[in-house]
Amino acid sequence: MNQECCWNREVIAAGECPNIGDDDKSLLSSLRRRVLEKCCDCALFKQDLVRFSESRHPLAPVFSLIHAEFQQQKTQIQSLASFLDNKTLEMRFMHELGSVLQSSVDLDEVLSVALTAITAGKGFGMNRAFLLLTDREEGVLHGYFGIGPRDLEEASQVWNEIAQNDMDLQTLAQNFRLNKLSAERAKFHNVLEQLTVPLANKDHVIIKALDGRHPVRIEGAFQHPDVPPELARLLGVDTFLLMPLISRNRRVGMIVADNCITHRTITDEDMHSLETFGFPVAFAIERASLYDKLQVELNRVTEAGKKLKEQQEVIVKMENMALVGRITSSIAHSVRNPLMIIGGFARSMLKNSSASDPKRTFIESIVDETRQLEGVLDEILNYSDSIYPTRDFWDVNQLIETALRDSADILTSLGYATGYSPGHDLQPVFIDFKQLSYCLRTILLNDIGGIGEDRTLAIFSQSGENVVTITIEDRSRHISQMELDRLLVPFSETRDLGTGLGMALCKTMLEKQGIPLSVQADEHEGLHYTIVLPTRKEEQP
Amino acid sequence: MNRLLVVDDEANIRLLYAEELKDEGYEVVTAASGAEALDKLQGSVFDLAVLDIKLKNESGIELLQKLVKERHDMPVILCSAFSCYKDDFSAWLADGYVVKSGDLTELKQEIGRVLAKKALKVKEV
Repeated sequence: MNQECCWNREVIAAGECPNIGDDDKSLLSSLRRRVLEKCCDCALFKQDLVRFSESRHPLAPVFSLIHAEFQQQKTQIQSLASFLDNKTLEMRFMHELGSVLQSSVDLDEVLSVALTAITAGKGFGMNRAFLLLTDREEGVLHGYFGIGPRDLEEASQVWNEIAQNDMDLQTLAQNFRLNKLSAERAKFHNVLEQLTVPLANKDHVIIKALDGRHPVRIEGAFQHPDVPPELARLLGVDTFLLMPLISRNRRVGMIVADNCITHRTITDEDMHSLETFGFPVAFAIERASLYDKLQVELNRVTEAGKKLKEQQEVIVKMENMALVGRITSSIAHSVRNPLMIIGGFARSMLKNSSASDPKRTFIESIVDETRQLEGVLDEILNYSDSIYPTRDFWDVNQLIETALRDSADILTSLGYATGYSPGHDLQPVFIDFKQLSYCLRTILLNDIGGIGEDRTLAIFSQSGENVVTITIEDRSRHISQMELDRLLVPFSETRDLGTGLGMALCKTMLEKQGIPLSVQADEHEGLHYTIVLPTRKEEQP
Repeated sequence: MNRLLVVDDEANIRLLYAEELKDEGYEVVTAASGAEALDKLQGSVFDLAVLDIKLKNESGIELLQKLVKERHDMPVILCSAFSCYKDDFSAWLADGYVVKSGDLTELKQEIGRVLAKKALKVKEV
């Protein structure tokens, strides 16, 4: 039998077998490998087999049978090898994806990885994907994020870029998150807004798929009885995939994916792979969401801790206030009562002594000194009272009228005329009423000296933005601005100009409440006081 | 002659008030504590009470509340060693408020003002 194939030669020259290329030159010297790898599928070998069958050799039919079976087995092995190769790639991809998803608690990072995996060529290779998340409070599934090209031109550009850079999934996702996340979100804003479906709408195809908990491939979307026409129009594709994201029986969300550019068929294999991928994605999304909530709660707890600390400080302050109160009360009674008794009896004795009594001068000295000591005691007690203001909302008119009423007798006796012009729509002011009353009385009765002829005190109130301004014009008292400034310093040595602490104490009291006191002095025009009172708590220091 | 009840835990202050107010033409009865004051009020009529805010082991404000409740027609003037009570709600129940001083002019003026107000009220009724 003349054979055309080279199966009977141990070694052949290059070009003698049409199935051996330049890459397979090692086969030229190996008969065994050449027969097993090439000859079985070679047309020349098959012709030799036909001739062998025609030779009626008894082994010919058996040999043909073995050859056919060998070919079939070989095809099956090749198919299995290809399947295993694919599975290996898929396993590697899933491993890479899993390690990224498991290590992240940032929702945006998780979403970037998940959606990049769905759309990347190295991943599931879908053209476009939308993520819808479940909002349990609102009872809706709402469009949260989208990824993919809008048209062929954009697709070509993106895919070329990816192909050139040859990045792994993690790098691809990181790159996407850093450079494209915001743009993609904005790009699909309109689509995402319309992709909101109430969870109660059980007939909607997306909710049906979510409740069914398995991926659903929609074909013929424009004519599909379960697909609302507006959804088909919105996506603009005839075929798409719905992949529910379920974590521990909870409906986390839904991925809607399609091949809007290539129109590649979505296979059963795609569905199965995506279903496997859906579990870790759902878990990672839920974990990231929980982490976000945990962060919110942590911030709340931190805030509560901060407030608690502030409250503790307030309690300590109040304890200090109580201590100051007890001390001042003790001083008031320990010092004032004896002073009062000494001064009172001295006055009584003075009243009953004759002008020629040689001891009258001594008694007058006792009266003067006790009066002076009473004045000092008043100032010290008022100063200690100013350390911790107690603020609340008060009516400005009540404040001014109270101060005027308390000062009326003294002012009248000095020949003063007072007038108050209240402003319109005055808001309640946030102040320490006692301290403000004291300050107004002190200003009204302020004995700075140099009383002029014009004995009028004009008071005005005016509403402003979050404030009420009180203005007091006193034309009777004349002092230079420099002397006034000295007078406003606590315990400054200006005794000849006034009572020493009164005005400075007013300034301190007001400053502690964050209330500015402005006093303008003019030797001819008199004094002009401006007090700006807050109407809101947050205006306080 | 108007009858005044002076309540203060300091004996010398009671003495001073009694002497000075008698000179002004008032009949003065003194009490060293709230209990003594309430006791003296039983079966007696007073035109006005002068009350120290801080009595030994008791609060003058509480006594003020009792006096207003039981003898609402009798005006009360509070005397205190320090002025901050003047703007305190609890002290607003009183008809007058005076800071203690060796110079009793203010107290005397306040007593005159309150009694005049009371007399006007009685006349209107």
